Amino acid sequence: MIDNVPFDHDLLEMLKTIASEGITNAARGFSGMVGRKIEVSNPALKLVPLFSIAKMVGGPEDDAVGIYLRFEGDMVGQIMMIMPYQKALELVDLLMDLPQGTTQHMGSMERSALGELGNLSGSFFLNSLAKLAGAKIMPSPPAVMVDMVGAILDIVVATAGGISEQVLLMQANFMDGPRSVEANFWVIPDLNALKDLLKKNS
Amino acid sequence: MKKDPISLGLGERAISRDPDDVLVAYGLGSCLGISMVDPITRISGLLHAVLPGAASGLPSSDPNSHKYVDSGIEDMLAAVIKEGAIKSRLIVRIVGGANMLISPGMTSSFDIGTRNMDTARKTLQSLNMKITAEEVGGHTGRTVHVYVADSRVTVRVIGEKERDI
Repeated sequence: MIDNVPFDHDLLEMLKTIASEGITNAARGFSGMVGRKIEVSNPALKLVPLFSIAKMVGGPEDDAVGIYLRFEGDMVGQIMMIMPYQKALELVDLLMDLPQGTTQHMGSMERSALGELGNLSGSFFLNSLAKLAGAKIMPSPPAVMVDMVGAILDIVVATAGGISEQVLLMQANFMDGPRSVEANFWVIPDLNALKDLLKKNS
Repeated sequence: MKKDPISLGLGERAISRDPDDVLVAYGLGSCLGISMVDPITRISGLLHAVLPGAASGLPSSDPNSHKYVDSGIEDMLAAVIKEGAIKSRLIVRIVGGANMLISPGMTSSFDIGTRNMDTARKTLQSLNMKITAEEVGGHTGRTVHVYVADSRVTVRVIGEKERDI
Protein backbone atom coordinates (compact mmCIF):
# COMPACT_ATOMS: atom_id res chain seq x y z
CA MET A 1 0.00 0.00 0.00
CA ILE A 2 1.07 3.53 -0.71
CA ASP A 3 0.31 4.49 2.90
CA ASN A 4 3.69 3.08 3.80
CA VAL A 5 5.59 5.33 1.44
CA PRO A 6 7.36 7.84 3.64
CA PHE A 7 5.89 11.12 2.52
CA ASP A 8 8.45 13.22 4.25
CA HIS A 9 8.64 16.84 5.18
CA ASP A 10 11.18 17.68 2.47
CA LEU A 11 9.04 16.25 -0.26
CA LEU A 12 6.00 18.16 0.95
CA GLU A 13 8.02 21.39 1.12
CA MET A 14 9.25 20.82 -2.40
CA LEU A 15 5.72 20.24 -3.63
CA LYS A 16 4.59 23.43 -1.91
CA THR A 17 7.12 25.36 -3.93
CA ILE A 18 5.90 23.67 -7.09
CA ALA A 19 2.25 24.34 -6.26
CA SER A 20 2.88 27.95 -5.46
CA GLU A 21 4.83 28.53 -8.66
CA GLY A 22 2.32 26.58 -10.71
CA ILE A 23 -0.66 28.46 -9.36
CA THR A 24 1.00 31.83 -9.94
CA ASN A 25 1.59 30.84 -13.54
CA ALA A 26 -1.98 29.58 -13.79
CA ALA A 27 -3.25 32.99 -12.66
CA ARG A 28 -1.41 34.55 -15.57
CA GLY A 29 -3.03 32.00 -17.84
CA PHE A 30 -6.51 32.83 -16.54
CA SER A 31 -5.94 36.52 -16.99
CA GLY A 32 -5.04 35.85 -20.60
CA MET A 33 -8.09 33.61 -21.02
CA VAL A 34 -10.63 36.11 -19.68
CA GLY A 35 -8.87 39.28 -20.75
CA ARG A 36 -8.59 40.84 -17.32
CA LYS A 37 -6.53 40.33 -14.24
CA ILE A 38 -7.50 37.26 -12.25
CA GLU A 39 -5.38 36.65 -9.21
CA VAL A 40 -4.87 33.42 -7.37
CA SER A 41 -3.84 33.75 -3.78
CA ASN A 42 -2.90 31.63 -0.83
CA PRO A 43 -2.10 28.36 -2.47
CA ALA A 44 -1.97 25.96 0.44
CA LEU A 45 -0.85 22.38 0.13
CA LYS A 46 -1.46 19.62 2.61
CA LEU A 47 -1.83 15.88 2.85
CA VAL A 48 -5.28 14.55 3.60
CA PRO A 49 -6.76 11.06 3.68
CA LEU A 50 -8.72 10.27 0.54
CA PHE A 51 -11.87 9.27 2.44
CA SER A 52 -12.12 12.66 4.14
CA ILE A 53 -12.69 14.55 0.90
CA ALA A 54 -16.45 13.96 0.67
CA LYS A 55 -17.07 15.62 4.03
CA MET A 56 -14.93 18.60 3.10
CA VAL A 57 -17.03 19.30 0.00
CA GLY A 58 -20.34 18.82 1.80
CA GLY A 59 -21.76 15.33 1.95
CA PRO A 60 -21.55 12.39 -0.45
CA GLU A 61 -25.03 13.07 -1.85
CA ASP A 62 -24.61 16.83 -2.32
CA ASP A 63 -24.64 18.27 -5.84
CA ALA A 64 -21.16 19.13 -7.02
CA VAL A 65 -19.05 19.86 -10.05
CA GLY A 66 -15.87 17.93 -10.69
CA ILE A 67 -13.10 18.75 -13.13
CA TYR A 68 -10.80 15.84 -13.71
CA LEU A 69 -7.64 15.26 -15.63
CA ARG A 70 -5.02 12.59 -15.74
CA PHE A 71 -1.37 12.92 -16.52
CA GLU A 72 1.02 10.57 -18.16
CA GLY A 73 4.64 10.40 -19.18
CA ASP A 74 7.54 10.00 -16.78
CA MET A 75 5.02 10.33 -14.00
CA VAL A 76 1.39 9.26 -13.88
CA GLY A 77 -1.34 10.60 -11.69
CA GLN A 78 -4.64 12.42 -11.56
CA ILE A 79 -5.93 15.82 -10.62
CA MET A 80 -9.48 16.36 -9.42
CA MET A 81 -10.96 19.73 -8.72
CA ILE A 82 -14.27 19.38 -6.95
CA MET A 83 -16.54 22.07 -5.59
CA PRO A 84 -20.11 22.43 -4.37
CA TYR A 85 -22.54 23.13 -7.24
CA GLN A 86 -23.33 26.64 -5.99
CA LYS A 87 -19.66 27.53 -5.81
CA ALA A 88 -19.11 26.33 -9.35
CA LEU A 89 -21.84 28.70 -10.55
CA GLU A 90 -20.09 31.57 -8.74
CA LEU A 91 -16.81 30.63 -10.32
CA VAL A 92 -18.41 30.67 -13.78
CA ASP A 93 -19.75 34.17 -13.06
CA LEU A 94 -16.30 35.27 -12.03
CA LEU A 95 -14.60 33.78 -15.06
CA MET A 96 -17.17 35.14 -17.50
CA ASP A 97 -17.30 38.56 -15.84
CA LEU A 98 -20.98 38.31 -14.95
CA PRO A 99 -22.60 39.73 -11.81
CA GLN A 100 -22.66 37.15 -9.04
CA GLY A 101 -25.82 35.05 -9.21
CA THR A 102 -26.25 35.34 -12.99
CA THR A 103 -25.32 31.75 -13.81
CA GLN A 104 -28.14 29.45 -12.69
CA HIS A 105 -27.29 26.16 -14.30
CA MET A 106 -24.43 24.25 -15.84
CA GLY A 107 -24.83 24.17 -19.60
CA SER A 108 -22.21 23.30 -22.18
CA MET A 109 -20.68 26.79 -22.16
CA GLU A 110 -20.40 26.82 -18.37
CA ARG A 111 -18.87 23.38 -18.40
CA SER A 112 -16.32 24.32 -20.98
CA ALA A 113 -15.34 27.46 -19.03
CA LEU A 114 -14.71 25.31 -15.96
CA GLY A 115 -12.96 22.69 -18.05
CA GLU A 116 -10.60 25.37 -19.30
CA LEU A 117 -9.98 26.51 -15.75
CA GLY A 118 -9.11 22.96 -14.72
CA ASN A 119 -6.97 22.56 -17.78
CA LEU A 120 -4.98 25.71 -17.07
CA SER A 121 -4.57 25.04 -13.35
CA GLY A 122 -3.55 21.46 -13.96
CA SER A 123 -1.20 22.24 -16.81
CA PHE A 124 0.61 24.99 -14.96
CA PHE A 125 1.02 22.85 -11.88
CA LEU A 126 2.32 19.99 -14.01
CA ASN A 127 4.64 22.26 -15.97
CA SER A 128 6.25 23.44 -12.75
CA LEU A 129 6.56 19.88 -11.58
CA ALA A 130 8.00 18.72 -14.89
CA LYS A 131 10.51 21.56 -14.95
CA LEU A 132 11.72 20.90 -11.45
CA ALA A 133 11.93 17.17 -11.88
CA GLY A 134 13.29 17.30 -15.41
CA ALA A 135 10.50 14.98 -16.40
CA LYS A 136 8.08 14.79 -19.28
CA ILE A 137 4.49 14.99 -18.10
CA MET A 138 1.46 15.28 -20.36
CA PRO A 139 -2.03 16.10 -19.11
CA SER A 140 -5.19 14.66 -20.67
CA PRO A 141 -8.07 16.90 -21.76
CA PRO A 142 -10.27 17.77 -18.78
CA ALA A 143 -13.56 16.03 -18.06
CA VAL A 144 -16.26 18.09 -16.34
CA MET A 145 -18.94 16.29 -14.35
CA VAL A 146 -22.04 17.48 -12.55
CA ASP A 147 -23.17 14.85 -10.06
CA MET A 148 -23.22 13.77 -6.44
CA VAL A 149 -19.98 14.34 -4.52
CA GLY A 150 -19.55 10.64 -3.76
CA ALA A 151 -20.06 9.60 -7.36
CA ILE A 152 -17.48 12.10 -8.64
CA LEU A 153 -14.99 11.01 -6.01
CA ASP A 154 -15.45 7.37 -6.98
CA ILE A 155 -13.32 8.12 -10.02
CA VAL A 156 -10.40 9.00 -7.81
CA VAL A 157 -11.07 6.29 -5.26
CA ALA A 158 -11.40 3.54 -7.85
CA THR A 159 -8.33 4.49 -9.84
CA ALA A 160 -6.19 5.20 -6.80
CA GLY A 161 -7.13 1.68 -5.78
CA GLY A 162 -7.24 2.26 -2.07
CA ILE A 163 -9.28 3.82 0.64
CA SER A 164 -6.82 4.88 3.29
CA GLU A 165 -4.38 6.54 0.95
CA GLN A 166 -3.37 10.11 1.35
CA VAL A 167 -3.76 12.67 -1.36
CA LEU A 168 -2.39 16.16 -1.82
CA LEU A 169 -4.88 18.92 -1.33
CA MET A 170 -4.14 22.21 -3.00
CA GLN A 171 -6.37 25.11 -2.00
CA ALA A 172 -6.43 28.38 -3.88
CA ASN A 173 -8.52 31.52 -4.01
CA PHE A 174 -9.46 32.91 -7.41
CA MET A 175 -9.87 36.67 -7.15
CA ASP A 176 -11.18 39.31 -9.48
CA GLY A 177 -10.92 42.58 -7.56
CA PRO A 178 -13.01 42.20 -4.41
CA ARG A 179 -14.68 38.98 -5.56
CA SER A 180 -13.12 35.69 -4.69
CA VAL A 181 -13.99 32.02 -4.98
CA GLU A 182 -12.10 29.32 -3.15
CA ALA A 183 -11.27 26.16 -5.04
CA ASN A 184 -9.81 22.89 -3.92
CA PHE A 185 -7.72 20.62 -6.10
CA TRP A 186 -6.85 17.12 -5.19
CA VAL A 187 -3.67 15.86 -6.72
CA ILE A 188 -3.20 12.15 -6.63
CA PRO A 189 0.26 11.41 -7.91
CA ASP A 190 2.07 8.15 -8.14
CA LEU A 191 3.98 8.83 -4.95
CA ASN A 192 6.79 6.40 -5.59
CA ALA A 193 7.55 7.88 -8.98
CA LEU A 194 7.27 11.39 -7.61
CA LYS A 195 9.73 10.70 -4.84
CA ASP A 196 12.22 9.07 -7.17
CA LEU A 197 12.09 11.87 -9.68
CA LEU A 198 12.48 14.61 -7.14
CA LYS A 199 15.29 12.82 -5.39
CA LYS A 200 17.13 12.30 -8.62
CA ASN A 201 16.93 15.97 -9.42
CA SER A 202 17.32 17.60 -6.05
CA MET B 1 -38.42 8.34 17.86
CA LYS B 2 -37.19 8.22 14.30
CA LYS B 3 -33.64 6.98 13.95
CA ASP B 4 -31.05 8.45 11.60
CA PRO B 5 -30.33 6.23 8.61
CA ILE B 6 -27.22 4.08 8.90
CA SER B 7 -24.88 5.60 6.34
CA LEU B 8 -22.27 3.37 4.75
CA GLY B 9 -18.99 4.83 3.57
CA LEU B 10 -16.58 3.31 1.08
CA GLY B 11 -15.95 -0.35 1.79
CA GLU B 12 -18.46 -0.55 4.63
CA ARG B 13 -21.30 -2.98 5.27
CA ALA B 14 -24.27 -3.08 7.62
CA ILE B 15 -26.75 -5.77 8.56
CA SER B 16 -29.94 -5.14 10.49
CA ARG B 17 -33.31 -6.67 11.37
CA ASP B 18 -34.54 -3.65 13.32
CA PRO B 19 -37.64 -2.27 11.52
CA ASP B 20 -36.64 1.25 12.58
CA ASP B 21 -33.41 1.00 10.62
CA VAL B 22 -32.75 2.40 7.18
CA LEU B 23 -29.45 1.52 5.51
CA VAL B 24 -28.09 3.95 2.96
CA ALA B 25 -25.12 4.40 0.63
CA TYR B 26 -24.99 7.96 -0.73
CA GLY B 27 -23.60 9.05 -4.06
CA LEU B 28 -22.50 5.78 -5.61
CA GLY B 29 -20.56 6.32 -8.82
CA SER B 30 -18.59 3.33 -10.03
CA CYS B 31 -19.07 1.78 -6.59
CA LEU B 32 -21.82 -0.77 -6.04
CA GLY B 33 -24.52 -0.79 -3.39
CA ILE B 34 -25.41 -4.46 -3.06
CA SER B 35 -28.41 -5.34 -0.92
CA MET B 36 -29.62 -8.72 0.35
CA VAL B 37 -32.97 -8.86 2.06
CA ASP B 38 -34.90 -11.77 3.57
CA PRO B 39 -38.49 -10.43 3.59
CA ILE B 40 -39.72 -12.95 6.15
CA THR B 41 -37.15 -12.40 8.89
CA ARG B 42 -36.51 -8.80 7.68
CA ILE B 43 -32.80 -9.45 7.93
CA SER B 44 -31.31 -6.91 5.55
CA GLY B 45 -27.77 -6.24 4.44
CA LEU B 46 -26.17 -3.48 2.41
CA LEU B 47 -22.62 -3.40 1.11
CA HIS B 48 -20.80 -0.39 -0.36
CA ALA B 49 -18.15 -2.09 -2.52
CA VAL B 50 -15.45 -0.10 -4.27
CA LEU B 51 -13.37 -2.41 -6.44
CA PRO B 52 -14.03 -5.68 -8.31
CA GLY B 53 -11.80 -8.18 -6.58
CA ALA B 54 -9.36 -8.71 -3.81
CA ALA B 55 -5.85 -8.74 -5.23
CA SER B 56 -4.85 -11.53 -2.92
CA GLY B 57 -7.12 -13.85 -0.97
CA LEU B 58 -8.07 -11.84 2.05
CA PRO B 59 -9.23 -13.72 5.10
CA SER B 60 -12.93 -13.02 5.68
CA SER B 61 -12.10 -11.45 9.03
CA ASP B 62 -10.14 -8.75 7.21
CA PRO B 63 -12.13 -5.53 7.39
CA ASN B 64 -10.96 -4.73 3.87
CA SER B 65 -13.04 -7.58 2.48
CA HIS B 66 -16.01 -5.20 2.27
CA LYS B 67 -14.08 -3.02 -0.13
CA TYR B 68 -14.21 -5.67 -2.84
CA VAL B 69 -17.26 -6.87 -4.73
CA ASP B 70 -16.33 -10.56 -4.70
CA SER B 71 -15.23 -11.03 -1.09
CA GLY B 72 -17.83 -8.47 0.06
CA ILE B 73 -20.72 -10.45 -1.41
CA GLU B 74 -19.49 -13.77 -0.04
CA ASP B 75 -18.94 -12.23 3.32
CA MET B 76 -22.34 -10.55 3.47
CA LEU B 77 -24.14 -13.76 2.44
CA ALA B 78 -22.43 -15.66 5.24
CA ALA B 79 -23.27 -12.90 7.70
CA VAL B 80 -27.00 -12.64 6.89
CA ILE B 81 -27.33 -16.45 7.00
CA LYS B 82 -25.60 -16.45 10.37
CA GLU B 83 -28.21 -13.93 11.54
CA GLY B 84 -30.94 -16.34 10.48
CA ALA B 85 -31.82 -15.36 6.92
CA ILE B 86 -32.69 -18.17 4.50
CA LYS B 87 -30.60 -18.11 1.35
CA SER B 88 -33.38 -19.13 -1.03
CA ARG B 89 -35.53 -16.23 0.16
CA LEU B 90 -32.91 -13.54 -0.26
CA ILE B 91 -33.77 -10.72 -2.62
CA VAL B 92 -30.64 -9.30 -4.20
CA ARG B 93 -30.77 -5.76 -5.59
CA ILE B 94 -27.81 -3.83 -6.96
CA VAL B 95 -27.35 -0.11 -7.55
CA GLY B 96 -24.38 1.84 -8.95
CA GLY B 97 -21.58 0.71 -11.26
CA ALA B 98 -21.74 3.84 -13.39
CA ASN B 99 -18.99 4.93 -15.72
CA MET B 100 -18.44 8.44 -14.42
CA LEU B 101 -15.88 9.52 -16.99
CA ILE B 102 -17.25 10.32 -20.38
CA SER B 103 -14.29 12.23 -21.73
CA PRO B 104 -12.68 10.98 -24.93
CA GLY B 105 -9.76 8.64 -24.44
CA MET B 106 -10.43 8.10 -20.77
CA THR B 107 -13.36 5.76 -20.72
CA SER B 108 -12.39 2.19 -21.47
CA SER B 109 -9.43 1.52 -19.21
CA PHE B 110 -11.05 3.29 -16.30
CA ASP B 111 -14.47 1.76 -16.46
CA ILE B 112 -14.38 0.29 -12.96
CA GLY B 113 -18.19 0.46 -12.77
CA THR B 114 -18.68 -2.15 -15.49
CA ARG B 115 -15.95 -4.33 -14.02
CA ASN B 116 -17.58 -4.10 -10.61
CA MET B 117 -20.91 -5.18 -12.05
CA ASP B 118 -19.37 -8.04 -14.06
CA THR B 119 -17.73 -9.29 -10.90
CA ALA B 120 -21.00 -9.03 -8.95
CA ARG B 121 -22.82 -11.11 -11.60
CA LYS B 122 -20.09 -13.74 -11.62
CA THR B 123 -19.84 -13.96 -7.85
CA LEU B 124 -23.61 -14.28 -7.39
CA GLN B 125 -23.82 -16.86 -10.16
CA SER B 126 -21.17 -18.96 -8.47
CA LEU B 127 -23.25 -18.77 -5.29
CA ASN B 128 -26.39 -19.78 -7.21
CA MET B 129 -28.09 -16.49 -6.49
CA LYS B 130 -30.21 -14.36 -8.79
CA ILE B 131 -30.30 -10.58 -9.05
CA THR B 132 -33.92 -9.50 -8.58
CA ALA B 133 -33.46 -5.88 -9.55
CA GLU B 134 -30.63 -3.63 -10.67
CA GLU B 135 -30.09 0.03 -11.46
CA VAL B 136 -26.60 -0.01 -12.84
CA GLY B 137 -24.35 1.40 -15.52
CA GLY B 138 -24.89 4.69 -17.30
CA HIS B 139 -23.08 7.85 -16.34
CA THR B 140 -24.85 9.11 -13.23
CA GLY B 141 -24.33 8.77 -9.53
CA ARG B 142 -27.00 7.13 -7.39
CA THR B 143 -28.05 6.85 -3.77
CA VAL B 144 -29.52 3.58 -2.48
CA HIS B 145 -31.73 3.14 0.59
CA VAL B 146 -32.73 -0.15 2.20
CA TYR B 147 -35.83 0.07 4.43
CA VAL B 148 -35.65 -2.81 6.87
CA ALA B 149 -39.29 -2.42 7.98
CA ASP B 150 -40.82 -3.38 4.63
CA SER B 151 -37.81 -4.74 2.68
CA ARG B 152 -38.04 -1.88 0.20
CA VAL B 153 -34.99 -0.71 -1.75
CA THR B 154 -34.97 2.68 -3.45
CA VAL B 155 -32.69 4.56 -5.79
CA ARG B 156 -32.23 8.30 -6.34
CA VAL B 157 -30.20 10.18 -8.94
CA ILE B 158 -29.25 13.86 -8.93
CA GLY B 159 -32.23 16.17 -9.47
CA GLU B 160 -34.78 13.37 -9.15
CA LYS B 161 -36.97 11.82 -6.51
CA GLU B 162 -36.33 8.58 -4.68
CA ARG B 163 -38.13 5.60 -6.23
CA ASP B 164 -38.56 1.89 -5.50
CA ILE B 165 -36.71 -0.75 -7.46
